[in-house]
Amino acid sequence: MIRFEQACVTYPNGVVGMKDLDLTIDDGEFVVIVGLSGAGKSTLIRAINGLVPLTSGRLDVNGRDVTKLNRSGLRELRSGIGMIFQGFNLVDRTTVLKNVLMGRLHEVPTWRTLIGRYPAADIDLAARALQRVEILEKAYSRASDLSGGQRQRVGIARALAQEPAIILADEPVASLDPPTSHVVMRYLQQISRELGITTIVNLHFLDLATAYADRIIGLRDGVLVFDGPGSDADEQVFESIYGRSLTADDTMTKHAAL
Amino acid sequence: MTHLDTVVPDAPTLPRKPRPALFTIATIAAAIALTIVTARSVDFSFGEIIGNLSRKNSVVEGLLNPDWGQIWSRRSRSAFIETLQLAVLGTATGATLALPLALWTTTFGNPNRWIRTVVRSFNNVNRAIPDLLWASLFVASVGIGALSGLLALFFFSLAVTTKLTSDTLDGIDMGPIEAANAAGASLPKMLRTAVVPQILPAYASFVLYNFELNLRASAVLGLVGAGGIGLRIEFFRGRGDWEALWGLVFMFFIVVFVVERLSVTLRRRLV
Repeated sequence: MIRFEQACVTYPNGVVGMKDLDLTIDDGEFVVIVGLSGAGKSTLIRAINGLVPLTSGRLDVNGRDVTKLNRSGLRELRSGIGMIFQGFNLVDRTTVLKNVLMGRLHEVPTWRTLIGRYPAADIDLAARALQRVEILEKAYSRASDLSGGQRQRVGIARALAQEPAIILADEPVASLDPPTSHVVMRYLQQISRELGITTIVNLHFLDLATAYADRIIGLRDGVLVFDGPGSDADEQVFESIYGRSLTADDTMTKHAAL
Repeated sequence: MTHLDTVVPDAPTLPRKPRPALFTIATIAAAIALTIVTARSVDFSFGEIIGNLSRKNSVVEGLLNPDWGQIWSRRSRSAFIETLQLAVLGTATGATLALPLALWTTTFGNPNRWIRTVVRSFNNVNRAIPDLLWASLFVASVGIGALSGLLALFFFSLAVTTKLTSDTLDGIDMGPIEAANAAGASLPKMLRTAVVPQILPAYASFVLYNFELNLRASAVLGLVGAGGIGLRIEFFRGRGDWEALWGLVFMFFIVVFVVERLSVTLRRRLV
């Protein structure tokens, strides 16, 4: 369970990323966070694994108070939280398998990491993760040789290899074309449902959000302005999130038709 | 066919053209002036150079008539082998240590600001000292011989490879670092998996380049007594045996040329 209580984040340059947030996310939920860029979506996601520290307030993740964790406590917390990125964040010069094994770093002894000899059990886990997103045959390809959609599947496999309780996805489809976006979203949804992994996804296309989310959270200027099931999120709700009426730019399908 | 003047009928006025940069002109003028002034102050003249070279001169005569037999003498051969050994060992030790040292100068590789400042300062000082000065220092403190040359090349390699590697580290993709941190990796694990694979080809290329530099440097190091082929060249110079000296120098050219070609070919495959 993830629980924010009166959580605030103010960046050193004065920008407010999160303001008095009260939010509880239960185990196994599939939550989509929507909002304009700069609304605090990335801040919320990165607060959960401690990449962005709270300025004030409280945040419990799986019973641990994130604000009180030291460096090794944070590593411990992060090892149970998989993360997926907009720019994939793969090491292009190395193999797909080595990239997925990055998800096992917390468990693998340092000396083994340094000489690049991973235990067979971890390689097996990485292979299973690749199999789960149907890209096992690319295990020994260089990451730079893959298409955008394939790369993001490797990103998902890397997160899965952690055997996480929570997956955070920060704009996972923003660099992809519409059909590929749906493929990636379907994988995320399946994984969440079948493995019971709490999944939190940032999106800025509204139709994708309503199509996949069990629950939608709307942010505007760091403040929570909507929290409800996807079916409740009608045009009026989105206007309150975006602060203006919707345009073709806000949905993916119309966007693609342009 | 559309003509642009039908779409944009009025002749547009361009924004004001920026003035030519005064700074650029001033710098070029200063560089020319400085060259002329310094040439005057050292009494530079082409006439003198040509005059000196065309006069009867035992050094130049030796050049025209090198002693090839010197190349195959046992002593010269062992001096060559010592030079190669110096270059290999100096590169292996210095360039290997350069990798962690370069990583410690980066913000992601070393979160402690003070240690970072200390390592950076050490690198800057180290780089400011030329190889010959290192060699003279060690010849004075350790004594004449190959050990002084090795120590000199070690510090020289450390300086060169650290600098080149640090510059490469400035331009790496930060995404994988974030990914490794988000997966709960410790600092050494993160550096090994997210940073090193990105710079490894460039680093390997720098090590080879450093080896070329060391091979050339090790010849000169001998002139101040730090071992290798330079000691032998210095020996013939002292005796005024120019034929033997030029023979050795030609041999050295050949060795350097072959090693450099090999290294260039290898490096092209790396990057």
